[in-house]
Amino acid sequence: MALTETPPETVDAASATDASPTPSQPTGLAAVLGSGDHKVIGRLYIVSALVLGLLVVGLGEGFALEGIKPETYDIYGLDSAFQLFTLARIGTVFLLALPLLIGLAMVVVPLQVGSRAIAFPRAAAASYWGWLLGAALLLGSYAINGGPGGGSAEGVDLWIASMGLLVLSVLLAAVSIATTVIALRPAGLYLARVPLFSWSMLIASIMWLLTLPVLFGLLVLMYVDHRLGDSVFVGSPAALYPNIQWLFRNPQIYVVAIPVLGLLGDVLQTVSGARMKLRGVAQAAIAAFGLLSFGAFLVAPSEAALDSFLVIGMGLLAVLPLLALAASCADLFRAGSFKLRAGVIYAVAAFLILLLGVAAGAVGSIPDVLDAPKGGALADNIFFLGVSHAAILAAVIAGLGGIHWWATKVGRQPASEGLGMLAPLVLLLGAALTVIPDLIAGIAGDGLQRNADFTGGYAGGNAAVAAGIALVALGVVIAVVSFLPLLKRRDDAPADPWGGLTLEWLTPTPPPLDNFVADLPVVTSAEPLIDQREET
Amino acid sequence: MATTAALALPPAAPPARPRILLVGTALATAGTLMAFAGLIGVYLAQRHAVLAQGGAWLPEGTTIPLTPGTIGMATMALSGVTIWWAVDAVGRNDRPSAYLALGLTIMFGLAVINSTTFLYTQMGLVANTKAGLLIYAVTGAHLAMIVAGLVYAAVMTFRTLGGEYHGRDREGLVAAALFWYATIAVYAVIWYAIYVTK
Repeated sequence: MALTETPPETVDAASATDASPTPSQPTGLAAVLGSGDHKVIGRLYIVSALVLGLLVVGLGEGFALEGIKPETYDIYGLDSAFQLFTLARIGTVFLLALPLLIGLAMVVVPLQVGSRAIAFPRAAAASYWGWLLGAALLLGSYAINGGPGGGSAEGVDLWIASMGLLVLSVLLAAVSIATTVIALRPAGLYLARVPLFSWSMLIASIMWLLTLPVLFGLLVLMYVDHRLGDSVFVGSPAALYPNIQWLFRNPQIYVVAIPVLGLLGDVLQTVSGARMKLRGVAQAAIAAFGLLSFGAFLVAPSEAALDSFLVIGMGLLAVLPLLALAASCADLFRAGSFKLRAGVIYAVAAFLILLLGVAAGAVGSIPDVLDAPKGGALADNIFFLGVSHAAILAAVIAGLGGIHWWATKVGRQPASEGLGMLAPLVLLLGAALTVIPDLIAGIAGDGLQRNADFTGGYAGGNAAVAAGIALVALGVVIAVVSFLPLLKRRDDAPADPWGGLTLEWLTPTPPPLDNFVADLPVVTSAEPLIDQREET
Repeated sequence: MATTAALALPPAAPPARPRILLVGTALATAGTLMAFAGLIGVYLAQRHAVLAQGGAWLPEGTTIPLTPGTIGMATMALSGVTIWWAVDAVGRNDRPSAYLALGLTIMFGLAVINSTTFLYTQMGLVANTKAGLLIYAVTGAHLAMIVAGLVYAAVMTFRTLGGEYHGRDREGLVAAALFWYATIAVYAVIWYAIYVTK
C-alpha cells in the first residue's frame, strides 16, 4: 500500500548509518505541506492542538459558568447545551490532549530511539492532515446543527464520519510511533533500554490501537444505522453520546494519560544525572498502567458491568503502578543530585493530577461509595467527570511540559525558563480547582446527577470549577508565551541544555532532516550519554 | 571495565534492515481485529438480549441460507493455503509459482465477495431492523477488509513482479499474508456467529 512506503527524502535517512551529507531541505510552503519529516509533522500537530485546545477550554469554561446557576440556561441555551457539552467532552480528548501528545511524540520519539526518521512518514503525515480535516468536519457538523442531539440528519451523519476520521488518524499516528520504537532502534538499544517517554508512548500507542478501533467499529455501526437504517440501534441522535461515553470514564480515559508517566521518569532521571536502578520496575509500572486502562469492554455498559469485579479491581489496582513509578523515581535521588527545572515542575504537576484522578477513580470504583444518581446512569455522574478531567488535564500538562523540556528539538532554542516555572504551577492550581469540586460533590452524594443544563455538582463548587478552568486557560497561555523563543533562530542554542542522558540530546538544535549529524555510539546501557562521558 | 571497552569500539555496524512493514502491518492488523471484536461483540450482545426476552432475532420471513456462507468459508480457507504457497515460493525464488499463488489468492478473495453479495440477495433482510443493521454492518465491514487485503496482496504481487521481493527478503509478502490470515480468522468468526448460529 502506498501508505507503507517510505518517501524518497527519508528512505536514505531511515537506513543510513554513515555520516552522509545532510540532504537539502525543502523550503517554504512545500516544507510544511509536503513534508514527511517527523519533526515538521509533530510541530503541526502541536500548534493545531494548542489552537483548537484553547477553543475547547473556552467551551468548558462556559459550562462551568453555566453551572453556577443550575437549572437555568444563561450561556448556551436549551437547544444547543447538550450538543456543545458533547463537543467539549470530545474536544478535550480528540482536539487537545491526544494530538498534543502525538505531536510531541512525533518530534521526540524517533530522536530518543536514535532513528533518522519516523516509521511510515507518509502515514504520519496523513495522520496529521486526516486529523485536521476530521477536526474541521467535527466543528462543521456542530455548526450545521449536527452531533449528538443535533436536529440535522446530515449534520449527525457528518459528525459520525468526522469522528471516524479523527479515530483513524490517531490510529495511523499510533502505528507510526509504535513501529518506530519497535523496529527503528540502533544496535544495542534494546526495548529494556528505551527511554521512558518513548516506552510510555509505545504502551500508549498499543493501547490506542487496542481500544480506539472498537470505537471505530461502533461509529461504522452508528453511521449505517443513522444513514441507511431507521436508527434502530442508536435511537435518537441524542443517544449517540451514551454509546461513546465509555471513552470518557475510567479505566478507558487513562489511556490518554499514559505518557505522563514516561515524561516524569525521563525528566527526573535527567535532572538527577543518575542511572535508574529500578528501570525495570518503572517500565513494568508504565506497562501495567497501560493494561489497567483497557476499557473497551465497557462499550454501552450496564450498571451490573460497572459493578463487576473486573471494573472494581482495575479501578483499585490502577493506583499501584503510579506509586511504583514514583518509588522508582524517588530512588534516583539517593544516588544523584537534584536541580529544579521547569520541566520537573511540569512533570510532577501532571503526575500529581493524574494520581488524584486515579485515586479518585479507585474510590469511585468501590460499590456503594457513590450514591446512584436519580434516573441517570452511573457512568454519567459528576464524580467521573472529575476523574476524566484529571486524566485529561494531566495529559495536557505533560504535553506542555514535554514541549518545554524538549524545546530545543521541537523548536530552535530553549523556552523561557521563568515563565516555564510559572505555567505548571498555574496549571496545577487550575486543574485541582477543576477536578476537586466535582469529586467532593460526588462523594458527598449531592449534586451527583447532571443538571438540566448539563452541569453538575454544587453551585458554589461550580464557581471554583469556573475559576479552575480559567486558570487552566491562563496556564496554557503562559506556557505558549514561554514557547515563543522556540520560533527564533539562535546560533548558539544549546543542543543539550539539561545534561541529558539519552540519544535525543546528541542532535543539534534544531535537529537536521536526518536527525543525527555524526554516527551514533554503540549503545551499551539505557543511559548512553553517561557512558560517553565516562569514556571521555 | 567492560563498558569502557565496548565504547572504545568503532561505531555500530549497520543493523539488518528492520522489518518495519511487518511490524506496522502487525499493529494495524491488531487494531482491525479489535474493531471486529467490538462489532461482533455488539452483535452477540444485542442478539442475546432479544433472545433472552423470548423474541426472535431474525425478522419474520428472513432466512440466512448456510450454503453461500459455507462456500465462502471454504474459499477463504483455501486462500490461506495459496497465500502461504506464495510466501513459500518467493522464499525459494520460484517466481512462476509465486505469481500463480498470488493470482489464486486474489481470485479466491473476489469469489468470497461474490458469494457474500449473492447471500445478500438471498436473505431478503432489510437494514431497518436490529438484526439487519448489525448483519450488514459486520459483514459489510468484513467485505471492506477483504478489499483492503486484496489491494495489499495485489501491490505485493506487483512488487514481486518488479523483483523487489526474493528469497532473502520477502517481508512485504509476509506482511500481506499476515493481514490476509486475519481476514480469514474474522470470516471464520462471522461464519459461525452469524451464518451458522444465526
